[in-house]
Order: sequence, then C-alpha cells, then structure tokens
Amino acid sequence: MTETAPGRRLDWQLAQVREIAVETFRVKSLLLQVPGWQGHLSGQHVDIRLTAEDGYQAQRSYSISSPPEDELLTLTVEKVDNGEVSPYLVDDLRAGDQFELRGPIGRYFVWTVATVWPLWLIAGGSCIAPLMAMLRHRARRKARIPALLIYSSRSLEDVIYREELDAMASHDPDLRVVNTLTRKQPTGWAGHRRRIDKELLADACFQPGQNPEIFVCGPTSLVETVSSLLVELGHDPLGIKTERFGPSGAAS
Amino acid sequence: MAETPISRGFKSRRAEQTPKDRLPPGQYVTTDFPVLSAGPTPQIKVESWTLALQLHGSLLRKWSWAEFEALPQTTVKTDIHCVTKWSKLDTTWQGVTFGDLLKAVGLTDPPEPYIMAHSDGGYTTNIPVADLVDGKGMIATRYEGLPVLPSHGGPARLFVPHLYFWKSAKWVRRLQFMETDEGGFWESLGYHNYGDPWKEQRYDGD
Amino acid sequence: MTENDSDLVLDGNAAAGLLQEIFALEITTAQIQCDTCGSVGAVGSLRLYAAPMGAVLRCPNCDARLMTAVRTPLGRWLEMTGARRLRF
Repeated sequence: MTETAPGRRLDWQLAQVREIAVETFRVKSLLLQVPGWQGHLSGQHVDIRLTAEDGYQAQRSYSISSPPEDELLTLTVEKVDNGEVSPYLVDDLRAGDQFELRGPIGRYFVWTVATVWPLWLIAGGSCIAPLMAMLRHRARRKARIPALLIYSSRSLEDVIYREELDAMASHDPDLRVVNTLTRKQPTGWAGHRRRIDKELLADACFQPGQNPEIFVCGPTSLVETVSSLLVELGHDPLGIKTERFGPSGAAS
Repeated sequence: MAETPISRGFKSRRAEQTPKDRLPPGQYVTTDFPVLSAGPTPQIKVESWTLALQLHGSLLRKWSWAEFEALPQTTVKTDIHCVTKWSKLDTTWQGVTFGDLLKAVGLTDPPEPYIMAHSDGGYTTNIPVADLVDGKGMIATRYEGLPVLPSHGGPARLFVPHLYFWKSAKWVRRLQFMETDEGGFWESLGYHNYGDPWKEQRYDGD
Repeated sequence: MTENDSDLVLDGNAAAGLLQEIFALEITTAQIQCDTCGSVGAVGSLRLYAAPMGAVLRCPNCDARLMTAVRTPLGRWLEMTGARRLRF
C-alpha cells in the first residue's frame, strides 16, 4: 500500500446512470459511466452531488462496490426512510439520468491483492458495499488469498449480493462466507441468529498469528463492539480498519 | 464556467413540508432530535457537578446541583434551529434563566457585555449578555419534562433558542463575563459570530 | 437522523472529501502524532465528530482534538493545534 501517494485534485465529474440493479427491496446498485474516471482501489468511496432545478444541492458519500477491474462504477445505495438523497436514488433515478461525482476518496480503507496476509471482512447491512468491492477484486484476480466474510443482516431478504456471495464461496475453497440473521430467519435456517458477539467471532475467524488484514464496516455500534472484541481476542489494533456508517446509511 | 448539471426530478423533499412563516430561511422541520457533538459525550455525575459564574479571572459564584435546582425554575416552549438546517418546533425546556442567575448573585446590571460559555469536554461559545437576559437565555436541565439526556447536553446545557443551536452549549459548566467579544469554538473556525437564524447567519461573512 | 449517541462518531476516512480539498497529498494515510499522548496513527483512523458542521478529528487513544476543518462559502478553515506533526 503506497503511503506517500499524492492525492489527486478532487474535481466534480459527471456520472451517467447506465443500469440499475435491484439488490433487495430497499437496496439498489447504480452502474455508472464516468468519462475520464482514473480508476480506484477497492474500499474507496465517492461523494455525489445532486442539483435540483431550483439550484438546491445535496451531497452524500457512497462506497464503490465495484472492483477496479470493472468498466462501470457501481454504487450500492440503501433507501433510508425520510432521507433526502437515498429515496431519490432508489425510487426515482432512471438509466440515462446524471449527477455529479468526485473521487475516488480515501486510501486508508483499501485492500488490493498485492498482499500475503489473509483477508477478514466483517459487515453489517448495506455497509457490505466497500467490502464487496474487495471480494470482487479478489475474485477477478483469482487470488488465492484466504478470505472470510462475516455478514450481519436483519433477515435473509436483506442480505445484499446473496446469490453472488453464495456462488463465490461455492467455487472458491479459500473463501468462507458466514451470514448471521439477527431479526428474522427462514424455517430451517441452520446459521447464526444473533448479533456478532465473541462466540461468533471465535467460531469464524483467523488467529492473531495469521496476521489477517481486518476490515469492519457497519453502523457505529457494530463497528465498536466488533473492534473491541477483536482486540480482546488478541488481534493487533493496527491491523483493524474500520468504516463507521452514520445514521444515514452512507459513510457520512 | 460550465453550468452545474441538473439531476432530473431531484428536489428538496424537505421544502414541501415546511410551514413557511414559522421557519427561518433554509430550514426544514424534523420530528427527530438529531445529535451533533464536537466530541465524546462526557459522563457527568450531578453529585460533583458545579456551575460557575466568572468575571474575568475571579469567581462570582459557584452552584452545586442541589443549589442550582433550588433556584427559580422557568419553563419555555419554543422552536430550535440548527445550523445544519433542521428545526424542531414546540420544544419544551425547563431550567434557570440567566436573569435569575444574575439575581441570585445580586447583580442588577451585568458587569460586562459578553459571555463565553465553557463546557465539559472543552467546547466554548460566545454570546452577548443582551441575548441572555430578559428570558432569552437559560441553563436548561429538563427537556419535555425529563432530565436532559447526556447526548443532548445533560445534566445542564445553555439554552438560547433565538440563535442557531450551536450557541446552546451542551454540558455547560462555566459562564465567563468578557469585556470584549471573542469567538468560541465554531465562531473561531468560520461560523458566524452571532448566529441569527432569521438573517441566516450561518457562516462568517453571511 | 438519530438519537443514538453511538451513531455520532465516524472514522477520519469519512472526512477525506473535505480534507482532500485542502491537502495536496493523500490525507487519510498520512501519519499524525497526537501532541497530548504522543500516539501515532493514520488520519483515516481518527475519530470523526460533528461531521454535518465540519470535521472534528480526535485521537482514538485519548480523545484530544487533532484536526478541525470547516468548509464555508468564503473558504476553508483548518486548525491543527492538538497535533504535533503529520507525515505524508
């Protein structure tokens, strides 16, 4: 990871919506064409800016869920009730629409296959987005790096990218995906049924000696709980990177 | 300069819900009570809580929690306006007015024209005394009849609702009279020195 | 919108958009030293408060305020009194 990389000037660019994919009943992925896009690393985010006809503007941050290998940039957006931006993006936006975008932003929370350490990802809800960019990058590069995703969702219907994750895991012996459904489970569900706790982490984990790179992304309460537990389990705090998603569901 | 691209169909959802005569410009009504803090919430025990009134370096009076609660209580129902654009209507607060604090200390005239409020955690904000007297400002200890939650500034916060809510310093512990006006935390970093929502004084230069 | 206190805090990474308007070099990976407790870490790992008003970045070890940034119509403000130094 190059720590002295120069920042690019973050200019606003135009993003055009090419395709919209429904992920769950309140989550959609927006596939964007951004002419002149310079590329990104998995884990980074963008700021988007919407301008209404009367000049009113709103700005939000969203993580990029597509890997650097994709031609189109994907943002995965969860609709927040009473939100100002996400209901527009999820309910009103159509292919052909446009908005302003700047990025990529934030080299701190990134992962690339140019590493030797195992990858441990822990996500809550729609905060899976930047971690999915990491897993997709890993899959595209066919990297044999051991990887583990622990993904907490309210119910099976809320698991974003469920089929893609199942397919990834079934074709890749080095990838393990562990779901936990905290509010509602389908009949016959044999998986976890509670919030991520010490037992769950001890059950699906890498050992501190394996020196995993750990990324935790979710609501602040999940991130803080999980981070403390990981440190209790002996993991180096410097190996744990967190991205707290605020109440709006996006990274800020 | 290129025109900013318009996003088809996007508009401020909040603009539709506002009763215009009640709201300062640029605000929208919320039924939530958003929390915004410049630092972690201090966990303050009322047994060790004190409120100090200071003139320059010297202490005019210090109240313990029990002494403070024994002062005349005032209840107000009013609207509050945050510089981040949300407004909350008809909120009820109870506490001790600044005027009653002055009376308790035997001051009929404030000794200096400005106050700097100091809070646990290091937050500060400056307010002209003229904006605190005559019922305009109080130290509030109850919101909607219940003790103010720590995340909202409890056990006691400054409450100056006619100015943007960053002036209503949470976790207030010290009120210091100043001879000249000096900016507090946000005022020293580009926010407006006075902060009148009706004149939309959000930032320095507005 | 939340009344939940623990939802207030974000990571320094979330302030990257605002900070990158000011710094020419990548800021989230810059190492910053706290002047209060001496600990060193990436700016992206700092605790971010008050995001809707600006960015108040605090030491994850001792909560000291290291960087504060505000974007106003007239320009940007940056205060770094709590930080000893930054290394890019």
